[in-house]
Amino acid sequence: MVHEVHKNDLTQALAADVAVLDFNATWCNPCKMLAPVLESASQDLEGKALFYGIDVDENLALAQQFGISSIPALVVLKKGQPVARQVGFMPKPTLMQWLNGVL
Amino acid sequence: MERVDIAIIGSGPAGVSAAITARLRGKSLLLFGSKELSEKIGKAHTIQNYPGLPAVSGEDLRAAFQNHLDTMGIQVTEARVNAVYAMGDYFAVQTANETYEATAVILATGVVQGKPLPGEEEFLGRGVSYCATCDAPLYRGKAVAVIGSSPAAEPEAAYMAEVAGSVLYLPLYDGAPDLPATVQVLREKPTAVTGEVTVTTLHTDGGEYPVDGVFLLRDAMAPTQLVPGLEGKGGHVAVNARMETNLPGCFACGDAVGLPYQYVKAAGEGNVAALSAVEYLAARKRNTKE
Repeated sequence: MVHEVHKNDLTQALAADVAVLDFNATWCNPCKMLAPVLESASQDLEGKALFYGIDVDENLALAQQFGISSIPALVVLKKGQPVARQVGFMPKPTLMQWLNGVL
Repeated sequence: MERVDIAIIGSGPAGVSAAITARLRGKSLLLFGSKELSEKIGKAHTIQNYPGLPAVSGEDLRAAFQNHLDTMGIQVTEARVNAVYAMGDYFAVQTANETYEATAVILATGVVQGKPLPGEEEFLGRGVSYCATCDAPLYRGKAVAVIGSSPAAEPEAAYMAEVAGSVLYLPLYDGAPDLPATVQVLREKPTAVTGEVTVTTLHTDGGEYPVDGVFLLRDAMAPTQLVPGLEGKGGHVAVNARMETNLPGCFACGDAVGLPYQYVKAAGEGNVAALSAVEYLAARKRNTKE
């Protein structure tokens, strides 16, 4: 499942071995389309990576901290360090290929 | 909204041909395009190699296409498609105001003239964007430049002006843009986008402008930008002889898939793409029954 981040609190994700951050917003159509794809990917990768959804309106400080200028944006963290990022919608096979390459 | 069997993007010879074949095969369809069907055809002087129509004028061929669509009851949905998302078992086709659903998609978008701006691809997602209404809220209080290839870009620039700190507008067309006074119109040709981690500067033939974001609003998007995950090849969509792309259920035809840019070739490929889409739909139906 994709966990929702509130109040800019990224403590859990930073502590995880591997975390996938999804920066999104309610007004962003490609974000809405990516959400079910990401949910399905999170199930496939259960035990390998934790997934976090970050609404940029609610968590503006995090969006700024990660320099997000286009959404949806995915950032992969390994032990709290960003190791890869990708902007825009991806179909499931493309997303899985990218994630498997990074993880 | 009801899901159609096939969404066809583009109303030139390839798209029109695909629509006719799809309708003959009894498929529900949406044909996205313009009332003029194809600006390019309308402007063509004479076409000498369209079988059965020797030395037909572009305008007459266009009228014949329209007539053919009319007699088959196919209507053109006049909307600019902003994105096509492969959702797995269907495609979401997004226009400015609506999202449509289709089981299969045929891309007949023609060929996009012009090369990307230097720095455009490098900074895509890091200050370069193709959708002002999508990303504007991320530029609250910041300096942005909007490059518009036609007056259709003006509403997006006006929306940007409500959100951003400052907006430069560079029209790539003649005529006075209809924009709020807060937008600074710049009659210069953009030459490059540069920056460090994110965009810092827009270069033009008249100078350099410090900006946080550059929005490129073109009338026609390259299919590989239109459909995330779509594979391209040398500036065209990569397809096989059945007009299949790398995305299952997504087909492409006409100028979008490569040379030669010929009306009769486009129409032929539209037919192949439609038949392949019909087969894809049948195979899917079989699989869901099993």
